[in-house]
Amino acid sequence: MKRIHVAAIRMVLASLSLMIAAGAGADVYVQCPGDTNGDGVIDDFSDPEYLAHPNAVCMSITGGDGFINMADTTVTGEARGRQLYMFGFADVTGVDPLDVIDVGTTAAWYPGPVIALDEGDEFFLSLTNVGMARRPDLDDPHTVHWHGRANATPWDDGLPEVSISVHMGGTLTYYYQVNEPGTFMYHCHVEATEHMQMGMLANLYVRAAQDNLPDGTNLNGFIHQTGNHYAYNDGDGSTYYDVDFPLQMSGFDPIFHDASESTQPLPFALMNDTYPMLNGRGYPETIIDAPLANTENGVVSQREDALIEANVGDKILLRISNLSITNYYTLMSPQIPMRIVGTGARELRGTGGADLSYHTNSVNLGGGEAFDAILDTDDVAPGTYFLYTSNLNYLSNNTEERGGIMTEIVINP
Amino acid sequence: MKTATDTALRHVSALRRMGISILLLGWIVIGGTAQAVINGTTGVNFDLTAKVGYASMGDGATVYIWGYALNGGAAQIPGPTLIVNEGDTVTVTLNNDLGEAASITFPGQLDVTSTGADSQGYLAAEAGAGGGQVEYTFTAGEAGTYQYHSGSNVAQQVEMGLSGALVVRPAASGQAYDHPSTAFHQEYLFFLSEFDPHIHTAVEAGQTPDMTSRRAQYWMINGRSGPDTFFDDGIPWLPHQPYGAMARTHPGEQVLMRVIGGGLDLHPFHTHGQNFRVIARDGRMRETIPGFSGADAGISDFTLTVAPGQTYDAIWSWEGRGIGWDIFGHAPGDPCDPAGEECNPASPDYDHGKVSPVTMPEQQFLTFGGFWSGSPFLGQEGPLPVGEGGLNLDGGYFYMWHSHNEEELCNYDVFPGGLMTMMIVEAPGVPIP
Repeated sequence: MKRIHVAAIRMVLASLSLMIAAGAGADVYVQCPGDTNGDGVIDDFSDPEYLAHPNAVCMSITGGDGFINMADTTVTGEARGRQLYMFGFADVTGVDPLDVIDVGTTAAWYPGPVIALDEGDEFFLSLTNVGMARRPDLDDPHTVHWHGRANATPWDDGLPEVSISVHMGGTLTYYYQVNEPGTFMYHCHVEATEHMQMGMLANLYVRAAQDNLPDGTNLNGFIHQTGNHYAYNDGDGSTYYDVDFPLQMSGFDPIFHDASESTQPLPFALMNDTYPMLNGRGYPETIIDAPLANTENGVVSQREDALIEANVGDKILLRISNLSITNYYTLMSPQIPMRIVGTGARELRGTGGADLSYHTNSVNLGGGEAFDAILDTDDVAPGTYFLYTSNLNYLSNNTEERGGIMTEIVINP
Repeated sequence: MKTATDTALRHVSALRRMGISILLLGWIVIGGTAQAVINGTTGVNFDLTAKVGYASMGDGATVYIWGYALNGGAAQIPGPTLIVNEGDTVTVTLNNDLGEAASITFPGQLDVTSTGADSQGYLAAEAGAGGGQVEYTFTAGEAGTYQYHSGSNVAQQVEMGLSGALVVRPAASGQAYDHPSTAFHQEYLFFLSEFDPHIHTAVEAGQTPDMTSRRAQYWMINGRSGPDTFFDDGIPWLPHQPYGAMARTHPGEQVLMRVIGGGLDLHPFHTHGQNFRVIARDGRMRETIPGFSGADAGISDFTLTVAPGQTYDAIWSWEGRGIGWDIFGHAPGDPCDPAGEECNPASPDYDHGKVSPVTMPEQQFLTFGGFWSGSPFLGQEGPLPVGEGGLNLDGGYFYMWHSHNEEELCNYDVFPGGLMTMMIVEAPGVPIP
């Protein structure tokens, strides 16, 4: 079989390494209907642009570098473990555009800010590239790739080789019509191996429109009440939940991060993630219900924890994703039964409506996979339970035992 | 905005200034509703030879390989794709030019027998070293996607490249299985595998490699690492890697993905642009009622974990609706696209004539990918700085399909490369061979 020959050859490599056009000055330009001052917050609800997009939700984030700490405190003897240089996203919604670059410089978060949307939203996401101040030799552009987005077009897909990416000093605004509920993730796709290892990863999920049905709607026998939440538009209440928690697995290779910080060649061929993490932290920091500041410049760079709290009888929805670029991890709930109701941001149903959900104690994820698990606490006694990787060697923070991908589920009476 | 022709000519002349010529090879139009089909060899009698060869990786390295060759030709990775029909009695003759015994095992096939074997291997009857021969016969009982691979010194021989795809077609054309739920417009093979170059170097030097120290550094689709995956089948500078991995479709069409875990490692295969729906695993439809309901029990997902030895069939289709802006750049008065929903104002997916509420930053703040056409609209090209773009001749939408273990997007310590290819959604009317 023959095809039209797309192009000649080694220029493909040149294009893939991305030619950078010379910048002509910084311009932080946030696009958000009804936003009068460019800080990504809608403040004029009579603005005709807003009236044309009444479901608009806006967010302004940065892409740049920063620092976080691991959790191996018994190794460092300090309050925080090993400090690592990283790249990431940070939330600057509400920050005056004139201050965005200053606020964002060497202040990235890990994971990046959670994006939590409702089905039906029109999402305006502005990404400002604040540069890598600790690596002034780097002029990398950035993108946001909404991983798993249905009907993506190159313009909004964030894949630099086939699209546009924003470089230092500029802002790129993505527009997404939010049509599918479910658990997704987002990350930078520029030089993906490097930028993802360095930490440009985050949680993203969409709540279902079924949440907003009129009170009393009969869903095939299940009576909807205002305030109910469902993972998907299941039509029968089968994905009902009381509380939800995004949980993203990942890992850092400290040798790679140190090489990046000291402007050394990056050891792709030897990549070995020895700091496995849940929501950007290794245990026991996963259960600290507070943001954490790094030891380099004091920026509060780790803002998400992985502590799960619920009341007896609650159904807990875990929105599980894996953005490790090296490892599969299996996550196990040994004491609280788990039912997988969705994967790939789709309800587990056959094309004819067959229920394909299943009960399990564990779920295995490779990079780029997502699962929705509902834990049923009906017959569970109040107390503290564990959720952890059954890849037991990843229950560690590098050489420190008792760390890594582990968190706690606290069931209150 | 320049017309597509103007821009295309500008790209051609720009590339010629760079001393590169674009080869426009002819294409073969496949009759009927099915368009692109998998490159392979049809028949019921196949002659394969296990022999040595060399593979070229995307970083320019040359790797010594062992591969199956068709009819005494060049060793290839993956082995020749064999295409048979359901119910066929298939005979595969294996000649062995290697310095050790070789064989083929056919997972999933019924009643595999052999004649003329020189020895019994670990998983299959063998042809002896240096000229031995064995003949296998089996019944291709069920339609589906299968793998064949070496049954001798298995870890090393599969690592060296002795593995390939076997496609069994159902009675009805244009379907993957015996049910219309598995119909497709285009079908593509995604044979995923890896190399540890140190093992190949040891074998080339006549040593016994230490398979326990294996760590892959090259990752391939259809035997090629990125960006060689983007190029045509049969390009002359990859004589031992005849299959490309670029895929193309139109909005609303069904693409059959035949995915094979042909190496020794797991890979999470991620499709940008849209979810796929699994219709079969290991050559069996995902059915709620076997033999009756068709592929109605497959899940929809955006990342497919393919373990070694597994095969998956999945259908991918990009509708391009519900985006909030018109992907063809139509004004409200323009004719709408005949693909159904786009013309129905009552549909929640109605995008006709809508304009995106955001604008692109000025060019000075942007880096452009080589496959960006310069325009956000399907089938169109837009202005780009001189030297940019040029790799998107029809203004198609490009989506990278790749391993989501991003360390596998390297060619031995060099980024980019590895297990990646592109799916192009072309504008309606763009011919796809």
